[in-house]
This record gives sequence, C-alpha cells and structure tokens, in this order.
Amino acid sequence: MSELIPPSETMEPTPIRPPGEQVEEPRHEVVRLGSARGGWFRRVGWRHIVGLLALAFSIFPILFVVSAALNPLGTLSSSQLIPTGASFENFTKLFDTSFPRWFLNTMILGIASAAVSLFISSCAAYGFSRFRFKGRRFGLLSILLVQMFPQFLAIVALYLMFATITDLWPPIGFNTVWGLFLLYMGGALGVNTWLMKGFFDTIPKDLDESAKVDGASHAQIFFGIILPLVAPILAVTGLLAFIGVVNEFLIASIFLTEDSAKTAAVGLYGLVSEERNNNFGVFAAGTLILAIPVVALFQFLQRYIVGGLTGGAVKG
Amino acid sequence: MKRKLPIVRVAVLLAVVALVVSACGGGGTGGTGGGNAETSGAQLTIWVGGGPSGEATKKLGAAWGEENGVNVAVQIIPENLQTQFVTASQAGKAPDVVMGAHDWIGNLVQNGAIDPIQMTEDTRAAYEKLAIEAVTFNGQTYGVPFTMNNIVLFRNTDLAPQAPSSIEDLVATGKQLKAAGKTSEILALPVGPIGDAYHINPLYTSGGGYMFGQQPEGGYDPKDLGVGKPSSVQAYEKIGALGEKGEGALKRSITTDNILSLFTAKKTAYMISGPWQFADLKKTKLHYDVSPVPPFEGGKPARPFITVDAAYVASKGQNKLLAQEFVTNYWSTPEVNLALFKASPNVPALTAALEQIKASDPLVVKVAEAGRASGEIMPSIPAMAAVWDPLGKAEAAVIAGANPNSSVSAAGKAIQASLK
Amino acid sequence: MAKSEVREELTPTPPVKKPPRFGLEADGTSSPAGLIIKIAVLAMVLGIAVWAALPLLANDRWVGLAIVVLVTALLFYIYLSPRTVPAKYLIPGTLFLIAFQIVPVLYTMSTAFTNFGDAHRGSKQEAIAAIEGTSVQQVPGTPEYVLSLATKGDPTTGDIVFLLTDPAAKQSFVGTSQGLEELAADDIQLGPDGKVVEAPGYTVLNIGQASARAEDISQFSVPTDRGAIKNQGLSRAFEGTPLQAYDASCDCIKDAKSGQTWTADDSNGLFVDSEGQALAQGWKVNVGLRNFTDVLSDQTLRASFLKMLIWNFGFAIGTVVITFALGLLVAIVLNKEELKGRRIYRSLIILPYAMPVVAMYLVWRDMFNTDFGLLNRMLGTHINWFGSTASAMFAILLVQLWLGYNYMFLVCTGALQSISADLTEAAQVDGAKPFYAFRTITFPLLLVALAPLLIASFAFNFNNFNAIYLVSQGAPFPPDNPMAGNTDILITYTYRLAFGGAGAQYGLAAAISVFIFLIVAVISILSFRRTHALEEIN
Repeated sequence: MSELIPPSETMEPTPIRPPGEQVEEPRHEVVRLGSARGGWFRRVGWRHIVGLLALAFSIFPILFVVSAALNPLGTLSSSQLIPTGASFENFTKLFDTSFPRWFLNTMILGIASAAVSLFISSCAAYGFSRFRFKGRRFGLLSILLVQMFPQFLAIVALYLMFATITDLWPPIGFNTVWGLFLLYMGGALGVNTWLMKGFFDTIPKDLDESAKVDGASHAQIFFGIILPLVAPILAVTGLLAFIGVVNEFLIASIFLTEDSAKTAAVGLYGLVSEERNNNFGVFAAGTLILAIPVVALFQFLQRYIVGGLTGGAVKG
Repeated sequence: MKRKLPIVRVAVLLAVVALVVSACGGGGTGGTGGGNAETSGAQLTIWVGGGPSGEATKKLGAAWGEENGVNVAVQIIPENLQTQFVTASQAGKAPDVVMGAHDWIGNLVQNGAIDPIQMTEDTRAAYEKLAIEAVTFNGQTYGVPFTMNNIVLFRNTDLAPQAPSSIEDLVATGKQLKAAGKTSEILALPVGPIGDAYHINPLYTSGGGYMFGQQPEGGYDPKDLGVGKPSSVQAYEKIGALGEKGEGALKRSITTDNILSLFTAKKTAYMISGPWQFADLKKTKLHYDVSPVPPFEGGKPARPFITVDAAYVASKGQNKLLAQEFVTNYWSTPEVNLALFKASPNVPALTAALEQIKASDPLVVKVAEAGRASGEIMPSIPAMAAVWDPLGKAEAAVIAGANPNSSVSAAGKAIQASLK
Repeated sequence: MAKSEVREELTPTPPVKKPPRFGLEADGTSSPAGLIIKIAVLAMVLGIAVWAALPLLANDRWVGLAIVVLVTALLFYIYLSPRTVPAKYLIPGTLFLIAFQIVPVLYTMSTAFTNFGDAHRGSKQEAIAAIEGTSVQQVPGTPEYVLSLATKGDPTTGDIVFLLTDPAAKQSFVGTSQGLEELAADDIQLGPDGKVVEAPGYTVLNIGQASARAEDISQFSVPTDRGAIKNQGLSRAFEGTPLQAYDASCDCIKDAKSGQTWTADDSNGLFVDSEGQALAQGWKVNVGLRNFTDVLSDQTLRASFLKMLIWNFGFAIGTVVITFALGLLVAIVLNKEELKGRRIYRSLIILPYAMPVVAMYLVWRDMFNTDFGLLNRMLGTHINWFGSTASAMFAILLVQLWLGYNYMFLVCTGALQSISADLTEAAQVDGAKPFYAFRTITFPLLLVALAPLLIASFAFNFNNFNAIYLVSQGAPFPPDNPMAGNTDILITYTYRLAFGGAGAQYGLAAAISVFIFLIVAVISILSFRRTHALEEIN
C-alpha cells in the first residue's frame, strides 16, 4: 500500500513545524508515478474507504442495540432495524431506577481503578523491562499463568475471603466500592503489564545509561524520562483498564448486592429478568449511556495517543 | 542540592501523625467492625431476582418494614441467585429470606441452606393444591408459594379462530395458513441450537415419555429415570416427525429470543409460552387467546411443567424470627399476591387472588386452569439438574433429523453417568 | 562527614560518596520531593498497618496479625534498602496479585483434593444439624398455637416465655422452660386475633424487643411429653419433634418413626442406609487423588480431550492472529496524518469495545440464527451456522474478530506513534522503498513491542469462556455425546462438568483445571523461551 506514495509524503512533520503544514522537502527528487498534487484518492482517498469499511464493520451490531433501546417492546431480535413505535420510553424508564447512582459508582470505580492499576502496571513493567534479577522470567510467566485459571472457580474462594474481610474491616468489605477496587487491583499485574513491558523494551537502554551518568536516580529516570516517552501506550492502557472495569460484571455482581452500591453493569442486568428477555430495551438504553463516558475519555486521550513523539530516542 | 532537610524530624512527625490517625480510625472501626449486626433497630435482608417482580418485592418489603418498624433491605441479585445464595450461606453471609423457584428446593436442602416452614391448616388450604405440592420436599414444606406458572398455547384469533384439539390439528391449520401466505411459520415453540426440555415437555409426555417415576409416598424417584427408556424414544419419534426433516413445525432456529417477535409480527399463528408474555402482548393490539397445549392424537395428556416461585427462610440467616414472620404471615396474604401479580403477570398461587383477577385477567385464569387440569410439577430433586442439558441436546438433534433412538439413549446414558 | 571532607582534600581521586547502606537515601533518592514522597508513603503504610491490625487484635486473629506485621516490615525493608531496587517497582502489584489472585487459586486447587460441591459444602456437624432441623414434624393432633412472645420481667434480660392460645379450644397457656401451664382466662387479655396482649407477671414483647432477643428465642423451646413447642415467627407456635436424630455411639442417624438407620460414610461424606440410599445433606471430606483419577478415567473426556485441546489452541491462536492482522492493517491505513476525520474513525471503531461484551455476544448469536438472523438474510443463504463444526468455528472466530480487532487497532496505533518516525525516515533517505522500510524496520520493532501483548492475549483467549459459551454453547454436539461439543474448549467443558451434573462439583472442576493449568504452563514456558530472544533485539 505504501508503495503508491511518493517517499517525501511519508515523513511526519517534525515538532518544530506548525502542525498540519505540509512542506515538500526539495532534496528528495525521485521520479514519481502520477502527479504530486493529484492522486488525492491514491494518497488519502482509498484510506477513507478502508476506514469506512472498518467503521461499518464495527458499528452495525451496535445499531441493533440502539434499535432495542428505542423499541418499547424491548426484546432482543435482529429482525427489524427500525422498530415499530420507536420511542424514548426506555430511556425515561431507565432514570426511574437507581441508574444515576449506579452510573456514579461505576465512574468512581472506573477512574480510580484505571488510574491506580495503570500506575502499578507501569511500575511493574518498568521493573521487568529494565532490571535483571533472579526470578524475573518466572515472575513474568506466573502473571500470565495466574490469568489462565478459570475465574468461576476462584469465586468461591474470593467470597470466603471477603466474608472474613467484611467482618474485620467493613469499609473494604462487601457492598463497598473500595473493596471491589482492591479486588480489581489484584488483576493490575496482568495483560497490561505485558503490554507495557513490550513498549518499555523498545526504548533503548542507552537513554537510561546517559541519564544515570548525569546523576539521575532510578525513580527520576522512570518518571522523568521513560514515562513521557511511552505516553501513547499509557493512554491506551488507561483507557483499556477503564473499559474493563466499566464492563466487568461477574465479580461485581457477587460483591455488590445492595442497590445503592451497585455498578451500572450489575444494576442493568438486574433490570432484565433472568430468562424472560423482558426489559431488554431498558438494558440496551443503559448500555448506550454507559458507552458515552468511554468514548468521551477516548476523545480526551486521543491527544496523548497521537501526540507523536519527540522521537529523539536515538540522538547518538 | 545542599540544603539538608531535617529528614529525621519530618519522618518522625509524619509517622506519629499516621499512627494517631489510624489509631482513632482503627478504634472506631474496631468497635463497629467486630460485630456486624445492627443492635439498634430490627433488620431483615431479602434476596430476589431481577425484573419487574424484584421491584415489586422492594415496595412490598418496604411497606411491611414500615408497618412493623423493621429495616427491610431487598437486594436484587441479577444472575445465578441460587448459586450465590448457597455460597453466601456457607460463608456466613446469607440473607434472611430468599425468593426463588421451587425446583431449587432439593439443592437448597442438601446444602442445608433453608429451613422447613410450618404452615397452619388455614394457610395451607388457601393455596392451590399443586402449589403446595411443589414446595413440599421429603414430606416437609419449605416455602410459601406466590406464583404458579405453566406454558400454554397462544393463538392469534384473527388467523386461527378455533383452538386446536390436537397437535396434528394445529399442524394442519398451520400448514394451511403458511400455504395461503398468511404466515411463514407453523408454530413458535422455542428450541434453540441446544434444545429446550422445558418447552417440549407437553409433547414429550403426550408421546408417552416421563422424567422420573413417582415414589410410593409421593415425590420423584431419582433412581427411576424415564429418559432412555423405550417410552421416551417413542415420544421423540413423534417429536422428530414434527421436526425440520418432517413437518417443519419444530425448528432449532426458533428460540426464546424470537418467539414473541414472530408472534407479534404475525409470522406465526401459534406460540407456546407462558404468562410472562402477557405484559408485552398487552402493548400490542394483537387479538389472541390461550388454551392448553394440545396432545398428540390418541396420545397421553400433554402435561406442561408447573413452576412455582416461593419465599424461603434461610437456615443461616441472622434474623430468623423476622424472616419466619415475614414469610409465613405476610407473604401469604392475598394483598401481597395481587401486588406481585400487578407488577408481573405470573399466575398467583393463592386461590383467593386467582378469584379476584377472574374479571380483569381472564387469560391468566385460563393458564391456571390449564395447569390444574394437566400440569405436572417440575421435579425439584437434585437429580433433575442433570437432565436438562443432555435431554435438550437430544431434542435438538432429533428435531434436526437425527435418529431418536441413538440420541435419546445417549442422553439417558450421559444423565445416568452424571448421577452416579 | 568531616573525615570524608578531609579525605577529599588530601586525595586527588574524584570523590566517591558512599551511599548509606540503609535508609531513605539508600537507593540514590536525593531530591527533596522524592524524599518527602517516600516518607509520606511509608507513613501511610504504617498507618494502614495499624488500622488493619486493630480488628485483628480485637478478634484474636494471630495469623492475620503476623501477616500484617511481616508485610509491613517487608515494605519498609524494600523501600529503605539500596539493593532492592527492582522490588520497589514490583512489590505493590505483587502484593495485590498474591492476595487476590494467587491465594484464591491456591485455595481452589486445594479443593481438588476434596469432594467440595453441592451437598458437601460444610462440616459433618453442620450436616447433622441440618438433618435434624429439617426432620422436625408437627406432632399430629396438637393445636396450632397463636403465640405472644413475652419475658418474665425485664424485656432485655428476663427469661423468655411463650404465651400461647389454642384458638380451637379457647384456652391459654404459658410455656416456660419447665413446660406448659394453663392460664386462667380472667387474668389475661386477648387481642382480636387471639394473641395474648396482657398477662400478669409477664411483659409482652413488641417487634423491636423481640428481634433484640432473637437468639435467645431461637434457642428456646417449651418441652412437652411428645416433643417441644417452638415458635414460627412472632405469632405462631407448633409442637413438633425431630424425627431424625444423631446417635454418636453408632455414628449414625436414626429415624424415630420408621426405625431406619443411616450410617456415616466418611470416605464420601454422606449418611447411607443398608440399601445404599443416602440422606440429602452431606459434608465435605478429603478424597485424596480421587478427582484426578476420575478425570483421567472419564470416557467422554478421553475421547474428546485431544479434539478439544486442538480446537482450544486453534481458537486462541486464531483469535490473536486475525485480530492482530486486521487491527494492524487498519491502524497503518489510518495512521496518515493527512487523513481528515482520523479522530472520528478512531472513536467509532473502538465503540464496540465500550459495549458490554456479554450483550454483544448475545446480539451476535441472534444474528447467526438460521432462519431469522441478519447474516443469513443479508447473504440470502440458509446456513445453519451452529449445525456444522466448520461454520460454527467460523462464526465464533468472526465474533472474536469483531470484538477484538479494535483493541489491537488501538494498541497498534499507539505503537506506531511511539516508534520513532526518524527510523523510517532515515531508511528512506537511503532510498529504501517504503514497504521495505516498513517490513525490515518498523514491523520488527512493532513485534518486539507487541509480542508480549500477543502472548498475553493468547493466554486470555485460551480461557475465554464467554466467547464459546454465549455464542455457540459448544454446539454442534455429536448425537452420541451431549457433554463435549465440537466447539467446546477445555474451560467450557469444565464448567459443564462442574455445574451440569446433579449439583455443582467444585472439587472435580478444580482437578480438571489443575490439569489444564499444567498443560498450558508447559506450553507457555516453552514459547516464552522463544520470545526471550525477541526481547534483546533492542
């Protein structure tokens, strides 16, 4: 695909130039196929097509969720896209329940979990990436292996554990956001650590060395140099952690039984009676509303994800 | 940096502050953290499943709580209520009252999770006989029933004015309608890719099959499994004839997810489902009627499963006194039954309540009558849990056209193996 | 300090400041901000430790207390020592991991050696209590009493008594721990429902007072010659007798009415009679390796194990490969800065990831419906997606692609941004074609960055229960084998085995999980060795 593009235009503007300004480097005189100006389609247009296809692929099942949300009959069936008698009834019904409270709980839990788990993961990833110590590979491997144990079995053990915790320390027991928060921190050292370790590995060790020579401590290297360099992946990981917490249902449903303590995922499932598929419309409406902060957060983080790098990793 | 921080002093100061704060906090929580029962004010915790019924329970619980000065906490557990209740019970965190289906009783009893209930003769007599039978296990009554559901045949009266007298009659009419282009499906009976033994039971029993034999003193006998016996194979031969390779009345692509939309969109004149559909059907302007699921011509009576929802007293609850009071004296009143009915149209289990809704909801009463006439109580013995999955899969295979003998025998063998 | 200063002046060698062997500055932290943060954190740790320790002390939980002390000491050591630098970064996550993941896993593995499951959850004592409790029957011919809970004297401390009324015989009694005594009708006042409202010498309890004495009330009963009178709630009482009672001398349960005896079978945790019939309530016992041998000798498992294992690997690897491929492709295509609307594309493409996974699985399952599903209607076909193995596998992978490619897209976008554009630029200055530059420089770097993620994603999908269970439920099932379907992976099979029988069998499921775990561990270790090479490319 990149063969079609003249070499000069694959250069991203360097940070000095104001963004968006395309400057043609005169030194790269290579024979080009087709005119430089025309061929927008060749350069960019075909990308739009791919983008639209990807978009369509991603969105179309969601349209059914939207359809169910607008359908007062509220059943899950993909036979009709525009339901008969579409209305916003489901949304109003949603606010009759404790949905606002659940939403708030989810946001608090999501943001706190994402932030702290991001911090823990990145610290651990730094440790695994930069230091060589006995048990390093064993540690990495065990993080992975623990994940492979079926969760539905560990639930009984977790329940017993938290029953004791609730007796001894109620503020972090059942039906508290902070107890669930701690439980989620157990998973902080998981896929995300592996993800970030990979990125830490791409940052050359010479950077660390030169900083050390300048007298920086390991913490200063970590916070001052490494973290800013991997900002995009931090943003991505934070977003993924947030999404993961917002959508987590299995453990939360066991942990949070009181209405005012529930997260949105648990509360919404409670609206749908277990086997009868009634009220699916309200559930769909809630789901859509829950997706809004996720998309909003993504918009906010896009700046960091695509911020581009000073890239000056290899300065020589 | 050359200016030296008074490190040691700062450290000591912070440490002291931290200790003091934690000691105060710890003292506070230590006091209330040791015991978790409310010593001020009476407390009652109720667990119930989700949906409109759960919401109604909340209101009813609050009303009782206010009247009696008790703090009632109704908690809605969206998934796996039974499993969570048993786990919580074992961990010492059981609620006081739990609402659930009657077929949980066997499992709850074997885990020591619920207590038997002593009902007065008057209370007992106020209920439908079948409802009381459903909540009886090993000679003891375990729950106070409040709904009694069974499936029936829903019929679009515009398309099929007469109730069919037999399955063959239904299929014939359905085929006529399909040929005339008025409908696209003969019948909406939920099957799904892995089958549904609950909805096929009327046909299964009419064809001669049975689940478990009866013990002499009442109750089901787990040693007498009907699946795998020749009678069950015969029944499935008849069912197979209606399947995808036969009449095309039974299809695996029809599931609980789409029967309602098929029926309301008039793609089929017949639907086999339960009273829970009434709420949504009211929203449409469909003309429909209900009648008992018809049997095979010349076959045994078609017996739908009767499922009863009941309130149970948890063995390991903290407030058994109030739990017993709530369940036996409050939950058994007609007012409560009717309030629950208004929230979710399940057939009430109290005879008096059923009488009261005769005028406003005749269809619900029809469902009850169908149940009374030929319903069989869904077995609540623990062994029943092993039956659903293999039998459902055998059903799906037979409807797809597989040999009934091998499918049903295999199911029987698998069930026997897991019961060992 | 002075000595080293003197030394500095005397010797021409550059001064080497010896770091303190232990303390706040031990690992080279020297900035004031850093030191303050360290102090604050350690102080907080201490505070939390004290707060956690107090309830433990109050409840005599010495093991828990020891753990708290040890952990606090460990934390202090790690953060104040110069030699534990890696640990400083790893210990927070590790502590949480151990507490909330490793400990439950170990506990669950230990249940593999027991028969833990339905009817075998508690101890023998609990089973006996349950058996006796559920066998209480109302003595035939006895009245159904209307009850008033009362105390002799002070409501909070007095002895509990039952003030009973027999509505049929219109008689009232007072029941104490000594037995029943009649109450004269003139002494007492009855309420409208027959309840005793007032009686001399006794205080009738209201609900609040009664529930405050709930424990005493639950243990109280009025002995009679045929059994005992116990309350049922606040306003009813029955005379009942437990039909079944435990006899320690024979370690058995005896039924008073029928004379049947059930003897304790401690190897199975059940009370069994002479014909092998067991009572419903059982208890948890240690069964040693029995679960493991059961797994190994299970016919279904043997026949289908290889098949399930192969599909399990195929599914996990397939998911990773296709999601990565599509995600990378779209990321590269949309990475051009000239492309307007990149932000919109990105936001909308990741939208599926924001939806609850469970709901999306259900939507997709509905779309695969043979007769009414969207896919068949769009394609005009009548494929029974879950009727044949190949189409079922395709359907599952398609759903996985939809669910997962945007995660990969997001990560690849971040990766492409992180990887220095200078490298690609430099390559092109030398005249290399863009695609060649991509293939030899960018892609290997990407792989280094993403290889761990791919491995972790493989691990996650290996046990992706929802992906199979909610979409195909393991279908299609061979007609002779309802237990192991053709799209079952090991974990869905385990789940069905654990919960599909006559009750949950956690011990058996744990044993199977241990086997799965061992297999996966071996394979992961082997593949991990290979990626070790990748790490050092940098």
